[in-house]
Amino acid sequence: MAGKKPIRSESLMTRAAAHLRLADPVSDEPSADPDQLLTRVGRGDEQAFAALYDLLGASVYGLARRVVRDPARAEEISQEVFIQVWRSAARFDTSRGSARGWVLTLAHRRAVDAVRHDQAATNRENRYDWSSGPAFDQVEETVSTTLEHEQVRRCLDGLTELQREAVNLAYYNGHTYAEVAEVLDTNPATIKTRIRDGLVRLRDCMGVPA
Amino acid sequence: MSTDVHSLLAPYVLDALDPEERNQFEAHLEQCPDCRTELGGLQATATRLAESQSQAPPAELRQRLLTAIGTTPQERPVVTAMSQRGGLRRRLPQLVAAAALVLAAAGGTGYFVEHNRADEQHDQNVAIRAVLGAPDADTKALNLPNGGTVRLITSESRDSAVVVARELPALDEGKVYQVWLIKKSAAESQGTFSRSGEMVMKDLADVDQVAVTVEPSGGSKKPTTAPVVDVPV
Ligand SMILES: [Zn+2]
Repeated sequence: MAGKKPIRSESLMTRAAAHLRLADPVSDEPSADPDQLLTRVGRGDEQAFAALYDLLGASVYGLARRVVRDPARAEEISQEVFIQVWRSAARFDTSRGSARGWVLTLAHRRAVDAVRHDQAATNRENRYDWSSGPAFDQVEETVSTTLEHEQVRRCLDGLTELQREAVNLAYYNGHTYAEVAEVLDTNPATIKTRIRDGLVRLRDCMGVPA
Repeated sequence: MSTDVHSLLAPYVLDALDPEERNQFEAHLEQCPDCRTELGGLQATATRLAESQSQAPPAELRQRLLTAIGTTPQERPVVTAMSQRGGLRRRLPQLVAAAALVLAAAGGTGYFVEHNRADEQHDQNVAIRAVLGAPDADTKALNLPNGGTVRLITSESRDSAVVVARELPALDEGKVYQVWLIKKSAAESQGTFSRSGEMVMKDLADVDQVAVTVEPSGGSKKPTTAPVVDVPV
């Protein structure tokens, strides 16, 4: 097998990545391809890092902002995410998933960890007060209206109310499904099912390959 | 594996599991082709949910980051495997230090792949897959107190085990993690890694435990520190 490419598990992320690139208005300019940029970042290319930031910075910051709400905290998380991208870029293999997907997965995990950490601190004084803070749709008003945003909103609108609430609370508010169950006063097993049905429906509505 | 574990896939994709369940599900993912098949599409959907929130970051952030990376070292894309060194290779011919494979799908850290030589990586992947795919594969997962996870997947029918280390705490320069098979009073080195890595180990008949210690770069002949991980086999 010498000289052959290593066997890799076929990843659906690869196909999904191709789809996402098509949806990206700047995708046909090669230097703006996040996968290629990330490969260059892995070789220590600082210009590529700047270009990657220009491409994904708003997505990372906007997501962090939506999850943690606090602008300063969101900025901190964005900084940590991009530093981690810089550090770990050489270990990324573009044949296994999209750079965009990877960076946003990092961002979401970090934002969720932050919100849970903060929540744990709050809970020590104030147990089960999940309802404090602004309603989860409030931050949305400040989000710049993009085509992408409109499509996602339309697809979210297509969910049942409970599917939508479950997905929103889990993804955008950083709740575990058990916490979602608590908030919605519903059985956790039901919430798991709702999250799943909602996500599958979103996937199909957005035209993401299954 | 109870069928209920499959139902954690969607909450996993949305990062809506508590740490214990996340760990449990990632172990499941390694052994469940159905969940792996579905993962990609759901993750891509979550990415779309993320992108829809796009919002311009404060302008200073860009310059701050560009300054920061100027003084931030990058991780090297290698797991140092003793199997790749002549002497130890002869002594431990059964050892294959491994590269990530199916684990690649397993979320945030899962996109990393170690850049071993292609032919070795192929052998390693085949060996790992044989263990993970074994009907009697049994997974033990450990969360380390200071971050990172170690999983040990054992298959009696294959007489093999796979160690999967993920995002262990970064070590000082000149230090590595070293994996050992403990047989009675003897410790056999299995290889070293920096923060993440996988290894296949064979001939487990007399093995009492698998341990991980912190050692000087290049590894030690015997453990010189107390184990950070210690899993009975
Ligand atoms: Zn499954």
